[in-house]
Amino acid sequence: MRRRTLHPEVKMTTREKLSIYAKLILEARPIWKWLALSCLLCLIIIACAVVSPQLMGEVTNTIYDYWSASVSGGEAFPLVQAIVPTLLLLFLSYAVSSVVRWLNMYLMNNVVSHHYTCAIRIRMSDKIRRLPVKFVDGTPVGQILENMTGDVSAMGNSIHQIVEILVQGVLQLIFIAAAMLLEDWRLGLIVLATAPLSFLLSVKISGASGKYHRASLQESAEIYSVVEESYTNFATTKAYNLEQAMEEKHSQANQRQQAAQAKANFVTSLVQPSVTLLGALTYLTINLVGGYLAVQGAVPIGVVVTIVLFARQFSAPMEQIANGLSQMQRVTAASIRVFNFLDQPEEDPRNGEVDPRQIQGEVVFDHVAFSYNPDQPLIRDLNFVAHPGQTIAIVGPTGAGKTTIVNLLMGFYDITAGDILIDGRPISQMSRDQARELFGMVLQETWLFRGTVAENIAYGRPDATREEIIQACDDAYCDHFIRTLPQGYDTVIGDETTTLSGGQKQLLTIARAILADRRLLILDEATSNVDTRTEILIQKAMDKLMRGRTCFVIAHRLSTIVNADRILVIRDGDIVEQGTHQQLLAKKGFYAQLYASQYDQAI
Amino acid sequence: MKRIFSHLKPFWPQILVSSILMAVASLGQLLLPTLMSQVVDDGIYQKDFSIIVRCCVLMLVISLVSMGASAGGGKLSSLTVSGFTASLRSGVFHKVMGMGHPSFGQLDTGALVTRSTQDVETVSWAASTLSSSIISIPAMFLGGVILSFQVDPALASIILCAVPLVFIIVILIGRKVFPLWEQSDAYIDRQNELMRQRLRGIRVIRAFRREPVEHEKIADATHVMADNIIRSNVAMQSLNPVASFFLNSAALIILYLSAVRMQSGVSAATGGDVLALVQYITFITTGVLTASFAIVMIPHTIVACRRILQVLDLPDDEAEQGDQTQLKGNICLRDLTFSFEADSEPAVRGITMDIQAGQRVAIIGSTGSGKSALVHLLLGFQQAQKGQILFDGRDSRELAASCIRRQISCVLQKTAIYTGTIRENVAMGKPDATEEEIWRALDIAQLRHYVEKLPQGLDHQLELAGSNLSGGQRQRLAIARAVVKDAPIYLFDDSFSALDFLTESRLRARLREELRNRTQIVVTQRVTTALNSDCIFVMDQGRLVDWGKHDQLLSRCQVYREIYLSQTGGEEQ
Repeated sequence: MRRRTLHPEVKMTTREKLSIYAKLILEARPIWKWLALSCLLCLIIIACAVVSPQLMGEVTNTIYDYWSASVSGGEAFPLVQAIVPTLLLLFLSYAVSSVVRWLNMYLMNNVVSHHYTCAIRIRMSDKIRRLPVKFVDGTPVGQILENMTGDVSAMGNSIHQIVEILVQGVLQLIFIAAAMLLEDWRLGLIVLATAPLSFLLSVKISGASGKYHRASLQESAEIYSVVEESYTNFATTKAYNLEQAMEEKHSQANQRQQAAQAKANFVTSLVQPSVTLLGALTYLTINLVGGYLAVQGAVPIGVVVTIVLFARQFSAPMEQIANGLSQMQRVTAASIRVFNFLDQPEEDPRNGEVDPRQIQGEVVFDHVAFSYNPDQPLIRDLNFVAHPGQTIAIVGPTGAGKTTIVNLLMGFYDITAGDILIDGRPISQMSRDQARELFGMVLQETWLFRGTVAENIAYGRPDATREEIIQACDDAYCDHFIRTLPQGYDTVIGDETTTLSGGQKQLLTIARAILADRRLLILDEATSNVDTRTEILIQKAMDKLMRGRTCFVIAHRLSTIVNADRILVIRDGDIVEQGTHQQLLAKKGFYAQLYASQYDQAI
Repeated sequence: MKRIFSHLKPFWPQILVSSILMAVASLGQLLLPTLMSQVVDDGIYQKDFSIIVRCCVLMLVISLVSMGASAGGGKLSSLTVSGFTASLRSGVFHKVMGMGHPSFGQLDTGALVTRSTQDVETVSWAASTLSSSIISIPAMFLGGVILSFQVDPALASIILCAVPLVFIIVILIGRKVFPLWEQSDAYIDRQNELMRQRLRGIRVIRAFRREPVEHEKIADATHVMADNIIRSNVAMQSLNPVASFFLNSAALIILYLSAVRMQSGVSAATGGDVLALVQYITFITTGVLTASFAIVMIPHTIVACRRILQVLDLPDDEAEQGDQTQLKGNICLRDLTFSFEADSEPAVRGITMDIQAGQRVAIIGSTGSGKSALVHLLLGFQQAQKGQILFDGRDSRELAASCIRRQISCVLQKTAIYTGTIRENVAMGKPDATEEEIWRALDIAQLRHYVEKLPQGLDHQLELAGSNLSGGQRQRLAIARAVVKDAPIYLFDDSFSALDFLTESRLRARLREELRNRTQIVVTQRVTTALNSDCIFVMDQGRLVDWGKHDQLLSRCQVYREIYLSQTGGEEQ
């Protein structure tokens, strides 16, 4: 069985990686002031981190001195008075550190979420406005959604990490290292020598665990697809007695997942103990050397305590950096996808004012050529004229590419040669937006958005009054059933609405086109899943809508086809024949064959 | 819950051993400060370096043992968790595969998929996070309390107070964060829904020049989402500064109190003991903080468990009982009445129908006429409340469901394509089908031409749900699967709807020839599909209105004529 990869591993040169990081940072330009403020706060946190172990060491020293003095019967001093000022200072340092850390966290969250991730998401949404339909058709929706949510989140986290790693992490390391060396260079060196080991170890282990986790995720995806297909195909699975076979398939993927998950979890579970072990090694070395030095009287006991505490603070940023680095791979891949999306070439908006009131509705295809990809030319040389008010029927087998003509007329795709002219003017010299506004459109795949019935109908004319909306619905034979809905015209509907049948949704989109009242019309006749009575209503409504308009109809109904002024016969994407019904029948070509297969009983 | 945890049962020895190992590992960590206090008291104070060396060697041994115990415990618990997860996952899947349609229909498919995958993952994740802390945290806490009581009960009580305090903070924050997380899922869904809607409707949106409005909607949703993310992040990330403040303050109080007690001579604590106490509290609270994630996730896990139980608690309504027999293909329906739910309007009522072996019949009707219910009844997916179905004169209830299904080869309305190769998909109809039989089936289904042109031919890989095929190709592939299966009865439920008329008419001609002498039932709403059948049954609103040949029906059956006219656009031939 073939494996699907969730995200292909990205292999890049260092240079490419650096340019991605540079882009990531440049992207953060608008928030640089806030980032600078955050760096300042980080300095305060670091100061506290450097001061408090030293104060702690002082306190310990005093207690130890008192204790050893009292045991050896030496001179006792008032211990409490001696340590209280230092304790208060320590408390202050802890309090300041906690408050500033909280503030910094709050600041970063607000700034990054509002001005970084949110801003990128909105730019992506804005980008969609200008992307060619071709891009949207060719990209799975799930991928775009993942780019906008998961990938952008990862980029936002990277900003957190850059600040944490570069500023807090690195600076804290430097300052604590310096403080330790000043405190006692011998003990300080021990910590400095062992810390990189623990750093390397955790980088290695998290790298390995990442690999196993990815493997485990991939097996999960496999299981998911087995489960999904078994459930969505439940009836067929049952009808063919395939339950056992599906369970076998599931169990194989499940076993692989079990093995991968066990490995991933085990390696992950090693991270903490190994870091702890290395910490313990540092700890005991400090004890050994510090003990020796203390016995010699070379250092006071407080210094040993201070170094122990420093060692702890030294390892925390190390782990943070290791953690951050292990995630950088993911961030890089995510950023590349997002930047790729934002850098997509945009639809050329085209220029040229169009006044819809002046348009008569004559459409000419003049030596039009087109293909979806350059290797396979589809339409080579298409010529025809649709006079104002005429109906052009587009017929052909399912999947033959009947929607291509719609894509070209609406400027969703660009023709590669020739011209499409509306009232003698090439559409390439009309603003794309305004040219689109000349057309009304009723597609077979009905599109309703989440909103009220009235809003859905007024989609093409948001300023329409309620009376106009009702009138349009009346003309489209849907006023009656809309009134039976719980809130009538104010009932909230959406794509997933089950209260409306497919046919009723179709009627709503017809009402939408009636209300928009455009000179040119594109219709796609529905074929399936409509009950007989609604089907008749749809036909009547469409007939009404077509009156007086230049229409392009993807036709299934015999009457539409027979009465059309011109029929375009499509096969494998190309227009193979055109003419009136009689002409085409006389030709005894593909159309005649198609017609016979549908309506001639003799086969 | 018992039914979920029962999947842990086979692993109890591993669980026991790994718990002991984890407890050993965490106690080992606590012993380090205890040894350090010896270094201070007996070594440094007595100026005896040999004691220091001895303590350090002990520390080394303890650390290594701890590490070993941790690794061993980790290994065992990861094996346990993955085994438990796999067992639970296949348990849920097995349950669903064994269900009949009535149970299966109780939850929608998407929900069932989530329960069998994501919810199981959630439980697994919680199990793996909890497994590493459920033993070590209490062990550390208990060990720390016992060790510190030996030093000075008064000072120890501070640990007793501080740890529960941090625990309470964790729980309070968790309770605030948890609903925010739930909400944030809802907001992400909302944004995704808007986006999906926009991408799907891109043609309509552009035609009406409404891109700016759609963009605004998404921008608004994005802002709302960001606000929520900020709130939940801030709440969650407050844990660390707040908890560490309490922890550090507790250490200060210990220092202060020990100074007071030392000065007044109440405490027998040594200088090293005080050091040890301060470190105990650090170890324990850090442990609690690490475990906090798992603790916060507990409610979420319970929700996931409940959702899984919803599936496990559904009745097993398909019993594999009854006779196995060879059928000839005679089907009689006697006064069949059925409704999907007990108190709802019957989907079919009082249907009586006779189909002879070898006949080609069509059942026609528009949506909601009860055709699909009839198909479900024939295949034994549902049981009629009244009346009976007779196969060769035998009541269907006497026969095993698998026996009936083995002898009805069907293509259902919702075309089913499985991931795998074209060969695998066709061979599902007949697992031992030869290469030649598969090609013949593809040929009848009018798909041979297409498959021959593929570079991999029969081994062409199909994506999930056959997304790399067109609707018509999917339908033809499903037909090939039905044709390769050798059965006395063939049932096609709306199976030609995505085919163009030319392909359909060729296909029907081949079927007529190849399936000669087999019973063929074609369920459709297209008159042209039904036209040439030996007998056409006309259904309307759950009733059988009339049956006969096309010409007879056209002249006498009002419903049939309406359907005919609506599909030909009012053109009489």
